[in-house]
Amino acid sequence: MFTSIRSKLIASLLGVTLLVGAVSLWTGVHLLKKHVIGEAANRVALDLNAGSEMIQERIRLIRTALNITSLGSGFVGSVEAADPNDLAYRLSRLAHHAKLDFAGILGTDGNILSRLGPNAKIQRIPAENPIGRMALERQSSVEGIVVLTREMLLHEDPELAERARIAIPDLGAEAAAAAEATSGLALAAAVPIFEGSRVVGVLYGGQLLNRDETLVDMVRNRLSQGESYKGRPIATATVFLNDLRIATNVTLPDGRRAVGTRVSAEVKAAVLDQGRRWSGRAWVLSDWYITAYEPLEDIFGRRVGMFYVGTLEAKYTDILTRALTVFILITGAGMIVALGFGVLLANRIMGPVHRLIKASRQVSEGSLTPDVGPIKEGEFGRLQKTFLEMVAAVGRRRAASEDRIIQSEKQASVGRLAAGVAHEINNPLTGVLTYTHMLLRRKDLNTEMRADLETIAAATERVRKIVKGLLDFSRQTKLDPEPTDINRLVGATVGLLENQALVKGVAVKFMAGENLPMVTLDRSQMQSVLMNLIINALDATPPGGQIKIFTAPALSGDGAVHKGVEITVADTGSGIPAEHMDKLFDPFFTTKAVGQGTGLGLSVSQGIVQRHQGHIRVQSEMGKGTRFFVWLPIEGTGGKS
Amino acid sequence: MKILVVDDEGIVLLSCRRILEAEGFEVQAAPSVDEALALLDAPGAPLPSLLLVDVKMPVHDGMYLMRQVKAKHPQLPIVVMSGYPTDETVENAAIFGAATFIAKPFTPGELLDTVLSVARKGNKP
Ligand SMILES: Nc1ncnc2c1ncn2[C@@H]1O[C@H](COP(=O)(O)OP(=O)(O)OP(=O)(O)O)[C@@H](O)[C@H]1O
Ligand SMILES: [Mg+2]
Repeated sequence: MFTSIRSKLIASLLGVTLLVGAVSLWTGVHLLKKHVIGEAANRVALDLNAGSEMIQERIRLIRTALNITSLGSGFVGSVEAADPNDLAYRLSRLAHHAKLDFAGILGTDGNILSRLGPNAKIQRIPAENPIGRMALERQSSVEGIVVLTREMLLHEDPELAERARIAIPDLGAEAAAAAEATSGLALAAAVPIFEGSRVVGVLYGGQLLNRDETLVDMVRNRLSQGESYKGRPIATATVFLNDLRIATNVTLPDGRRAVGTRVSAEVKAAVLDQGRRWSGRAWVLSDWYITAYEPLEDIFGRRVGMFYVGTLEAKYTDILTRALTVFILITGAGMIVALGFGVLLANRIMGPVHRLIKASRQVSEGSLTPDVGPIKEGEFGRLQKTFLEMVAAVGRRRAASEDRIIQSEKQASVGRLAAGVAHEINNPLTGVLTYTHMLLRRKDLNTEMRADLETIAAATERVRKIVKGLLDFSRQTKLDPEPTDINRLVGATVGLLENQALVKGVAVKFMAGENLPMVTLDRSQMQSVLMNLIINALDATPPGGQIKIFTAPALSGDGAVHKGVEITVADTGSGIPAEHMDKLFDPFFTTKAVGQGTGLGLSVSQGIVQRHQGHIRVQSEMGKGTRFFVWLPIEGTGGKS
Repeated sequence: MKILVVDDEGIVLLSCRRILEAEGFEVQAAPSVDEALALLDAPGAPLPSLLLVDVKMPVHDGMYLMRQVKAKHPQLPIVVMSGYPTDETVENAAIFGAATFIAKPFTPGELLDTVLSVARKGNKP
């Protein structure tokens, strides 16, 4: 089955389609992946920058607000006077406008003058918040990220400490880190308060990031630009305190924000330990994200946290999957088309081949007219025609050789019979002839007796002739071939019969062909062949008719081509009925009156011609005439046997 | 003039005797090769001046007889008769020294012509 041309053809078509499909699929996926995922990664990196910029922007806003407050009229005076009521009022206004979680004012001694919250009026205690001290020490404004310990937060405002406390769901082994979960990460600034060029205090304030959703959501919204995936914004942003998520919109599977979870060890190592930016594909809690992380440094230059943005990879893998599906569908469709095409093509090619195979089978079963179907164009048509020609040629040859075998078998058996009969008859015939003739010699016979005896003698003579004919027929006389000028032989034979023709009133014409090669043949036997043909023609042709004899060079008609000479005897006689055609060469077949012909002429002639490796053909049309063709090879009997 | 005719067919022997005796020949007839040889070898009997022999005969055939005769009497002319003359018989006849050949059936005239022409030649040398 799989060795058939048909399946090979289909398989190769399928193979090519599959190959093309697979290659384009592979390159397509490759390109898409590079393009889509690469694009996404670029975008995330840019988003991270934008996110960082937003954080810085917030810090600057805080400082600006502080500056504005510090320059407010009467503020310096209130600081110098350490008026708690006025300072508290100013601070609460500042906090309200700038959305500060904590704010306070330090005196030049580093003690608190006033601050937000319930402890607002507890004065003259040293400030815990490091940023205010730093601004005081530097005598200039400070801004940035600060880590506030639980003590600092409690000091600032117990409520803040509460907000900063983050439950860590996956405590376990890292129980030690639990302490950090109570610290806070804040965006803060501190500005010195000047009286002229003299610093009279420091104003500080900041926003606690723990659980602060505004920043991360703002970043996320800005970055998502309205794009969502399955109802979720595709972008996410997170602020880490060390490796702990303290503000995030990455969600847990149950939809809660993943506050209190930790980053992967790999990211932690790269970002927190080595201080590098990290970007790439990352498994964040429950989904794959295309991510970027960067370290957050506090005002002392310590790496205290990380900032993260990421987009859901699913969005991009969906695009990829869709593209992949389309590709696979196209390839599949291509293969189906190829299959159909292959089957069609195979049928087109193999249909005629199968027909030819069937036709060959018919031939091997004996048919000589196999059905090869309609003749096609092109090579196949040529094959069909050649096949038909071949079959026809085989048929002709087989018919010819069968005819020849049948004919020679007939001749052989008739020959044996004739020989036996002749041998037996000849002895008694000798007695009949002898005594008839001896009686005829007598002088005392009366006329009647003499007439009777002469009738016996004549009849016996006929018997003798018949027996002689039988013997001639049965004798496969050896050929005595010699190189012969055909035209001379035919001319001489025609000469012998001219008188007979003249008497009958039939014109005999010999048209000798030119440039005839010499032919090696047995002259006397070939002459008897010609004699019989011409006598037959004379017998069949009524007075006024015509007999023409031609000679010409000719190739043998059957299959193998041999050079030779053809002698044609054409008459305008009666013609031969179709039903006699295949009996003509049978021994004893004659239509002539009893005593006129023995029916051995053509049979003997055919034997002679065949022994010369030649053949006799006949063409006849009733009422118009008959043509006999005798073809003889140049090589003669010396040629192939 | 004596002629020995050898043939297994009685009618042929009869016919030959009838034709030849009518012309004045003395005719000896032998129905088989063995009898012909016995006649030829008979002590005191004069040799015939011509042999008329059939080819196909049972036991010993005409060719056998010719070989025997030619061995002992090379001068004796032989005429071969056959009812079925093939090229081979004609050739063999010539090889074994037959003077001539006559096909059966023949008319009295044909037989006499043949015999006389051989006898004339045979008399000459
Ligand atoms: N030229 C011819 N025109 C018409 N019929 C012919 C011709 N040649 C042969 N025949 C037919 O073929 C038959 C056989 O011919 P063939 O030569 O074998 O025998 P014959 O002529 O009848 O007898 P034979 O040749 O033995 O005297 C003839 O009896 C005749 O019917
Ligand atoms: Mg004829």
